[in-house]
Amino acid sequence: MNIIKIKDIFIKELSIEFRQKFALGGIFLFATTVVFIVYKSFNNINPREWTILIWIIMLFAGLNAIVKSFLQEKKETYLYYYTLFDPIDLIVAKLLYNFMFLCVLFLIILGVMFVFTGFPVKDYGLFFTGSGLGIFGISIVFTFVSVISSADSGSSTMMSILALPLVLPIVLLLLKITTVSVRLLVDTTIMDDVKMLIGVDFVLLGAMLLLFPGLWRS
Amino acid sequence: MKGFWWKIAGVLLFLYVLIGGMIIPIKSGITSVTPNNAKSGEQLTFNVVGYNTNFLSATKVRAWLKLDSIHAISATEIEKISENDAKFAFSIPSNFPTKEAVQPLTLIVDTDIDGVFVQPNAIFVTLSDSAVISSEAWMSSAIGQFSEVKGIKFPYRNILNETIRNTFFHIALWFAMFILLIAGVYHAVRFLNTGDMVHDIKSAAFNKIGIMYGVFGLITGSIWAKFTWDTFWTSDVKLNMTAIAMLIYLAYLVLRGSSSDHDRRAKLSASYSIFAFVALIPLVFIIPRMTDSLHPGNGGNPALGGDDLDNTLRLFFYPSIIALALLGTWMSQLLIRYEKLKEKILLKNQ
Repeated sequence: MNIIKIKDIFIKELSIEFRQKFALGGIFLFATTVVFIVYKSFNNINPREWTILIWIIMLFAGLNAIVKSFLQEKKETYLYYYTLFDPIDLIVAKLLYNFMFLCVLFLIILGVMFVFTGFPVKDYGLFFTGSGLGIFGISIVFTFVSVISSADSGSSTMMSILALPLVLPIVLLLLKITTVSVRLLVDTTIMDDVKMLIGVDFVLLGAMLLLFPGLWRS
Repeated sequence: MKGFWWKIAGVLLFLYVLIGGMIIPIKSGITSVTPNNAKSGEQLTFNVVGYNTNFLSATKVRAWLKLDSIHAISATEIEKISENDAKFAFSIPSNFPTKEAVQPLTLIVDTDIDGVFVQPNAIFVTLSDSAVISSEAWMSSAIGQFSEVKGIKFPYRNILNETIRNTFFHIALWFAMFILLIAGVYHAVRFLNTGDMVHDIKSAAFNKIGIMYGVFGLITGSIWAKFTWDTFWTSDVKLNMTAIAMLIYLAYLVLRGSSSDHDRRAKLSASYSIFAFVALIPLVFIIPRMTDSLHPGNGGNPALGGDDLDNTLRLFFYPSIIALALLGTWMSQLLIRYEKLKEKILLKNQ
């Protein structure tokens, strides 16, 4: 692992993102529109619905955002990267970038939700640690699946078929943590769920780091 | 014989489980006791409905109401109505050895044909205010000298009844599924290490049969739930996590079907199956154990321990796992041979 190279790839991703402003704007427009549709159809959202909606919107907006992480570049570009970087550096940089992107996306969705429907969270510490860990897990799964689907057919359909079942356990844990942080549910053992989330993150991260170099070679 | 003895063993073991598991009767038990409450110092006759009992044919029927390990009273009169119905009369003493407002009593019945069977908390006795602490009336009748029953019988469980036989199929299917999926992951790892296409074919075959077992496990579990919990599906952690696990593996089948390039497909599906198996472990083994659940093995419910899996059940349960794993391996082997032949024809035509 080479920190400088990771930083280089990270900055490269960021500059590509800002050069293609339409893609960036499209994702945020998507998030805002969905929140608005949800707000208009529910009119009055209670905390229970709020916890569920925020993660469903996050999941689909995130899926749209990460699909392109490996699909946007050409085969030749990858061949070029292959000569330049260690696969671990590349995947770590991509993962960190996706994680940051999803976090920003999450904050924007939260902001839009805040304007339209309010912010029922009571336990801020639990909510943001839980969300951060969950988004990290989601970005691991999405990044890995985006590698597989780009190597397979290059279609985004494959991505959603493979990614959604894999993130379900993370989303279920997240839903529980969010429900507790909104105080709909009192659970003294909620730290067990947070630890569980950390465990799942590490296991998935380990599996990805082990498997990516092999996939990359093709 | 050499090379296929394990196929014969698998079939014979499965036949043994199928025949034995279906034919061997369930032990006698008590399904209901009416009325189920009484007052201290009362003369009461209880209607007892038995299951698999032989009250009429039995020459000797005895019954006790047990308070704890040393305190019990025996029935004053026993009237047999039919094989499965009887009336037991008890005179409940007015004094109890402990002073609690409501005392649960356990009904114990012993006949010379069916042996001894027990209904815990069959009757709740409410103490009158004048009751004094005294164990006098409770010491006279010792419980003991139970009749012995010959032959193997499966234990009687109140809600499970005959469905206890599903242990040999539902639970054994999950065990066998895990054996097959582990074999699938092993070959996936071997494929990534060696790049040998044979391992890809093997990994896919084991995973496919494993998924089939998983679906069968869900179906048998669902039917079992209908009889014991009165619903095909509940929002139970273990059930939902298993459903997710199956979805992940179904996505694996989609991935395998999507690509036409063999090398690429092999690499991708091997990677995905390892990733899926890693995601499966917390799903099936860790998360359900942390939450309360109806399903055995969670939230303090016993699963494969204590009284639930007694020696007669073990006699069929373990062979069933072995038999299903062997049959699964055989089915995978057939798939492997079919895939290899397909490859061969493909190469010949080119």
